[in-house]
Amino acid sequence: MWALAWRNVWRHKTRSLVAAGAVAAVVLFTLVFFGFVTATTNGMFELLTSESGHLQVIGARAREVQDFDARLIRDAQQVEAALLRELPAVRLRRVLEVPALISGETRARGALIVGVAQDEVLAQRFAQEHVAAGRLPSPGSWDEIALGAALARALQVELGDPVYVFAPGTEGWGAAAYTLVGLLAFPQTAYEIQAAYLSLEGAQELAAPSAVSRLEVHLVPERGVVTDAVIEDAKARAAAALGPAVRVETWREASPDTAAMLDLMDPAMAVFSLLIFVLAGLLVVNTIYLGLVERIREFGVIIAVGADRWRVMRMVLAESLVLVAAGTAVGLLTGGLLLVSWADGFRMPGLDEVLAEAGLPAVLYPAVTPAQVAVTVGFAVATALMAALWPAWVAGRLEPVEAMRHVA
Amino acid sequence: MWLDGEGAGFVKPILRAVGLAKVYENGDVKTPALQGVDLEVAPGEFTAVAGPSGSGKSTLLHLLGCLDRPTSGETWLGQQRTDQLDDFARARLRLHEIGFVFQAYNLIPVLTALENAAFVLELRGVPKKVRHEKAMAALEALGIADLAHRRPNQLSGGQQQRVAVARTLAAEPRVVLADEPTANLDSKTGLALIELMKRLNAERGMTFLFSTHDPRLLEHVNRIVRLEDGRVVADERVGAA
Repeated sequence: MWALAWRNVWRHKTRSLVAAGAVAAVVLFTLVFFGFVTATTNGMFELLTSESGHLQVIGARAREVQDFDARLIRDAQQVEAALLRELPAVRLRRVLEVPALISGETRARGALIVGVAQDEVLAQRFAQEHVAAGRLPSPGSWDEIALGAALARALQVELGDPVYVFAPGTEGWGAAAYTLVGLLAFPQTAYEIQAAYLSLEGAQELAAPSAVSRLEVHLVPERGVVTDAVIEDAKARAAAALGPAVRVETWREASPDTAAMLDLMDPAMAVFSLLIFVLAGLLVVNTIYLGLVERIREFGVIIAVGADRWRVMRMVLAESLVLVAAGTAVGLLTGGLLLVSWADGFRMPGLDEVLAEAGLPAVLYPAVTPAQVAVTVGFAVATALMAALWPAWVAGRLEPVEAMRHVA
Repeated sequence: MWLDGEGAGFVKPILRAVGLAKVYENGDVKTPALQGVDLEVAPGEFTAVAGPSGSGKSTLLHLLGCLDRPTSGETWLGQQRTDQLDDFARARLRLHEIGFVFQAYNLIPVLTALENAAFVLELRGVPKKVRHEKAMAALEALGIADLAHRRPNQLSGGQQQRVAVARTLAAEPRVVLADEPTANLDSKTGLALIELMKRLNAERGMTFLFSTHDPRLLEHVNRIVRLEDGRVVADERVGAA
């Protein structure tokens, strides 16, 4: 049956090539777009988690209250020690965020003072990605500050200039003078114009001695990538070790909007693919149906010599499956080759800043998962079956005598 | 029913039509094709249904071959009444019991002669090796084994009709119905085909019922059923060798 179907499909080569080509194009398109969806998802995940960690430890009431003091983790060193006992292989970034007024010699504006102490690897990565000029404040320094480049421009200060910070109503000094040692660049301008970085110790002396706003936990995978399952497991262990005084959140809980958007990308792509498969399916319907109309007499003979209706319907379905399988094979092959050719990364020239502004990595690494390939093949098979249903039904209802008298 | 050759008992017919009528309807126009045909064909007979165009020859073969349903009357294959069977049962009968040879050969153009000859066996689910052996034997019996791997468009009309006969022969049906099998052949090739079918009838005991309006072919049969306007007007036994 399959050999006969294959030969029948290629009786009208041009028509079948167009239909199979359409299927191949759709499969290729779907595969490549799935690859870019995966790359984008992975890239955004990497960006997000490298910025804010896979897990965050925050004050127990940090999500409910707005008050600066109430959101703090005051016994930060004890919490950190307990955390590292449970998860010894992680990298930590300790962060104290303080809303404050910042000024240069002539101008002032509201700012977010961020005191940071972090693992050396994280510090290097942060400096590599964000230091536009100068350097970050030295660990433990009390008098050095780095500003978002936009904030520095707004304050009209340059490297080496004095900068003044006022954080009234806090438990530290409440005000201090610093030397501008670095300018920082961030993709989001709204953040760049309010961010001012101190060492953690400097921020603690300014506003909240020995406290932090959060601990960012960066998991280090033993092999491969950090999966949601690994993150959930680490969260459960950390939460059990730290008790109710603090709250442990995954990156999904910390950034629910982003997580929801990433979760929607695959289904949205699947729906989009389904639509274009429907369009390709129309071409397949056309090819199979015309093939049927041209061979009604032949089908009449096949029924006359003993094929029952189901058999005839199966023959039509087989032709559709063979046609779509040929297109799918070509689409998978070319799509696979394209993805392999982008294994070292895909960069869209001139769009780095646009992508960064949108929170996307400049270099994408397209790849497809087995599930995405299965979905693509599943759509193709469904297209073949759906496209053949009507022609098969028509063929199955042919009366042999009438069919054998048919003149195409 | 007929006395068998020994005169010891009756032979039951393998094909039977009882009061068979068929009316084709096209809107309000009704065209009677058969009007109360009674016919019995014994196993091993080599019978021609003769008559002018429109006399109902093809319709009679279609009804007896379970390809169409009568307006009234009965059709029987052996002991089984066939006009009341559902489509699937009729398809099974056609597949396993009845062979067809058509005027227009009706081979499948994408299959080779061998594959065409094996096609009915493939529908029956016979394994490839076995069906190809049987099909090749049929092609050899018909003297066209050397054409086994050619496609129909590479064969002459006579060769194509031989492949069509091989398709039937390989399937070894109880009855072969041939609807004007020589109509598209020149007289020499047509006669050769009739000789061939006659040989198969004699050697294998296959029952043949074929329609024709070519009087030269009727010299080779041992029974002629004449139809006119959908009625049997004569049923002659002749002494063909």
